[in-house]
Parts: sequence; structure tokens; C-alpha cells
Amino acid sequence: MIGRIWAIALNTFREAARIRVLYGIVVLVIGVNLLGVVLGEMVTNEQARVARDVGLTGISLFGSLTAIFLGVFLLYTEVQRRTIHAIVSKPIERWEFVVGKYLGMVLVLTVLVGLFAVALIGMLLIQDLGVSSAVLKAVVLAWFEVLTVAAIAIFFSSFSTPFMSGIFALAMWGFGRVTPEIEAASRDAAPWIRTLTKITLEIVPDLHLFAVSGRTIEGEHVSIHAELVSWGYVAMASLHGLGWIVGLLALAALLFHRRDFV
Amino acid sequence: MSDLAIDVKELTKTYRTPLARRKVEALRGVSFTVERGHIFGFVGPNGAGKTTTIRTLMGLIRPTTGSAKLLGHAIPSREARFKVGFLPEAPYFYDYLTVGELLDLAGRLFGLSASVRKKRAGELIARVGLERAQSQSLKKFSKGMLQRAGLAQALMNDPELVVLDEPMSGLDPIGRKEVRDLIVELRDQGKTVFFSTHILSDVEAITDRVAIIARGQLQAHGTPAELVRRTILGIDIMIRLPQEADHADLTAGAERIRRHGDELSLTLPADADVDAWLARAHAAGAKIVQIVPRHETLEDLFLREVALADAPEDGSDDAPKETRA
Repeated sequence: MIGRIWAIALNTFREAARIRVLYGIVVLVIGVNLLGVVLGEMVTNEQARVARDVGLTGISLFGSLTAIFLGVFLLYTEVQRRTIHAIVSKPIERWEFVVGKYLGMVLVLTVLVGLFAVALIGMLLIQDLGVSSAVLKAVVLAWFEVLTVAAIAIFFSSFSTPFMSGIFALAMWGFGRVTPEIEAASRDAAPWIRTLTKITLEIVPDLHLFAVSGRTIEGEHVSIHAELVSWGYVAMASLHGLGWIVGLLALAALLFHRRDFV
Repeated sequence: MSDLAIDVKELTKTYRTPLARRKVEALRGVSFTVERGHIFGFVGPNGAGKTTTIRTLMGLIRPTTGSAKLLGHAIPSREARFKVGFLPEAPYFYDYLTVGELLDLAGRLFGLSASVRKKRAGELIARVGLERAQSQSLKKFSKGMLQRAGLAQALMNDPELVVLDEPMSGLDPIGRKEVRDLIVELRDQGKTVFFSTHILSDVEAITDRVAIIARGQLQAHGTPAELVRRTILGIDIMIRLPQEADHADLTAGAERIRRHGDELSLTLPADADVDAWLARAHAAGAKIVQIVPRHETLEDLFLREVALADAPEDGSDDAPKETRA
């Protein structure tokens, strides 16, 4: 089983590595980090703040967009181009194929997030700004956010077209980022809106758990520029993400299992 | 161990188009069996249901009703897929791989060790004649080369049953002959080969049994000898006749009349008085080159069965294949 999943994952990594857009995104993220340096120079005593904010936003934003892009295309094109015919006719279960595709994406996204993180840390070191544990924690959280978004995209891709999957995944990502704000806004609304909001929030991953800088967590204000969350929080948030990833992949596998490949 | 490599019972597949709510019956109660060690030809016109049947057998499509077994395992069966090699119709592979990498991927999915994968890949690349293209990515392969690569990946697991969907498609006459030879070689090794094709001469030349499918239904099933009528359909005659000789008397009532220079070819009806015709031919100064009784061929059978399938069942315009739900 592991050998088959690994074979699909490696092949997916190879396939994704050929997508030139990804190299463009790496260049863009490095450019964003350089922009952070330039902007920091323009604001007295705020170089560190600007560099960290811009760098982390780059990881989260471009990482998630890349995850959606890969997630909605890589599974769909297997079916559309019929490359899947020669694969699932071999002794591989369809869920193994879905998991293999996802793990291949995880490899690609991990390399990307790694490169983004290296770019951020490199910029901080060049400016003698130092790398705090808060930055590392924020990178780990952003990495899990990206992996969760990839699972969202692959879930939609298991039954929908890339366009629709992209819209659904973007919407879920956007909602997931602002679930506390939506909840707060609905408190004074009509009962049916509150109920609808509650149901909606239940089916959307809490992606805001991964973007904590500037928020109040357990009564304390946390910031990447001072004290961020504890490593315990990082572990709990990662487990939360892992739960969503497993659930979404299970649903994707179930939907994929029922599909006809005509 | 079952003697049957494939056992299909009353297989149906109905598609429903989501918006128009149309019902398309791709398979309508298809049943047949394939014995182990046989070459089985599955023929039918475009849209007859060949590929749907094959994709159902390979677990790519779920049947609406009915059942099928591959090597004694009910489909979809992972156990069976370990022992089956499959070449899809107009195969699409990852075009960034080389043929060696494609075979390695196939070998990994069959759980083969690295050394076995390497050895089998080398042997198969040589067997399908792709040694010179080993370093090229599949993107640069011609259709025929892709077909050969597809055949190689179908044999990577040394299968007991080989299912080939249009294996001769895209091949030149030499390539077609090589595939025919390969199919016979596989049968000689004790494997079962099930293949679909449009090329009836290939079927006639190498198959042990044949099934003809049209409009989602099996029209005929048996050995080529059982299926074709042994009665004489006509008498093919070729004579040499002086250029100036009038042949109107000789061609009266004949079919397929062709004259090239002094050669005249024609087909007399099966019940024609051949002795009387020959006497007239001699009288006209003709020399007899060839007289051959014409039996029904698989092509005749195919055309007859397909025409029957297309004929209205109730005298109406056409038998419905597509209906509104």
C-alpha cells in the first residue's frame, strides 16, 4: 500500500515540478520579501515589523493560492486526460490514488513553503534583524494552513471542474480565515441567520487558527513581533488541521470511488 | 481454479445526462465467457459498447446491473487486477516520462521489486521495439510508439489475462503484424488475450473465439468457424479474354464485374450453372485463371449482424438507444 501511494506521490511531485507557474511564484515571493526590505527602509525603526509581516503574508497567501491551483488541477487532469485509466486499472485502490496525489502535493507545497521561509529568514538575517521562535512558529502554522487548503481543493476537485473547485476552495479559504469575525457579526442578527451562520461555520475549517499574529488568543494579544503562541498551541492547531485534512481526503476518496471514468 | 478467464453476465450500463434527463443505454444485457488460454476478439462498430464493456471489466466504470468475473474474482477486484494487464483505447500516459519510467511506475503499482522492475522493463522495451527511443519522453512519441509503450506497460506484471482495447489502432501494417505476433506469442505462453478491434482480418487470423457487439447488445459469439455460414455465397471467377471479345453474355446475372486489360473478374450467383457458363466462356475464346467458391467471411458476418442490430425491432423508424427518463 505504502509503495503504491508513494509511487503516485512521487509522480505527482514530478508532474507539479514541470508547472512553470510555480517557479514564477517562487520568484514572486522572493520579490515580495525584497519589497518588504525596501518598505522597511522607508519606515524608520519598522524594518523588522514590515519584513516579518510581508514575508509571512507571502507564505500564507501564495502558499494557499498555489495549493488551490494544484489541488483543483492535478486530480481533474488525470481524469480529463485519461491518464488515470492506466493507473486505476492496476491493483491500486482509488483512495490510495487520492492520498498519493495529495501527498505529492504536500511534497511540492512543503518545498515551496520551505523556499518562502528561507527567503524570509534570509531577508531578516541580511538586515541583522534576527530570527525569533515566533517567526518559526508562524511559518509552521502557515505551512499547515497551506496543507489544509490543499485538502480543501482536492476535495472539491474530486467531483467538480477546476473552475468551480477553485471558486469553492477560495470561498472556503476566505471564510475559514474570518470565522470569528463572521460569528461576531451574526450575534445581533435574526435567529435564522445565526443558525445558518452557525451551520456554515461548522462545515468550514477554522483557518484563522493558523493566522494568529495580531489576534487575541485565550485572552492575550499575540504578535509575531513580540510573543506569539506557545508550541503547544502550534501542535494543537496542526492537529486541528490534520483532522480536517483526513476528513476532507476521506470524503474526496469516497466521491472518487463512486465515479465512472468514461 | 475457474476455467474461465472472463465471465460476463447480463451486464448493463445506463448513463443519465444530468440536465437533459436523457437515458443512454451503452450496454444492454451483455453476456459472454472467455476461456483461459484463448485469444478472444471483441468486434463492433464505433459506439457499439466495446470500450464500455472493457472499462467495466477493468473497474473504471460501474455497471448499472449484471455481474462479471475476471479470473474467478467478481469485479471490481484488486486481486484480479494483480493478474491482468490492460492497454486502454488510444492510451494517454504521463508525457513527461520516458518509456522506462512509465514501466517503472507500472511495476511499482504492481508491487514489483526494483530489480524485477528493471529486468522486466528492459525485456519489454526490447520486445516492443522501443530501445532506440528509451531516452525520449513520451511527449515525443508517435501514436504507434505510444501504442507499443502501452503494450509494454500492460505486460509489466507478466499477466495471466491481457485486455487490449484497440491494440492495432495507430499502427502501420508492420506494427499490426508485430502486435498480432505478440498476441499469438502470449497465447502460446498460456496467457488469455481479450482484445477489441475494428480490423476483422486480424480477428479472423488469430482469434479462437469472437463476439460481435452492436448497439450495446451481443449479436454473435463463438469460434470464427462456427459463426460464418459454410454455405457458398457465390463463385468468384477470373478469366483471360481477348480484348476485342464481347463479354456481355458472360457477365449477365453476375456481380462484382471488373475488367482490367484482358482480365475479367466476376462473381456468379451460388446457384448458377457453372458448367454452362464455362462452356460459353471457352466458346468466346477465354482462358480460365481461377474459380473459387466464396464462403461467408467474418466481415460479411459483421456487416450482417450490425445491420440486424440496426434494423427496427417493431417496424418503426429505429430502435431507441436514447430515451427520455
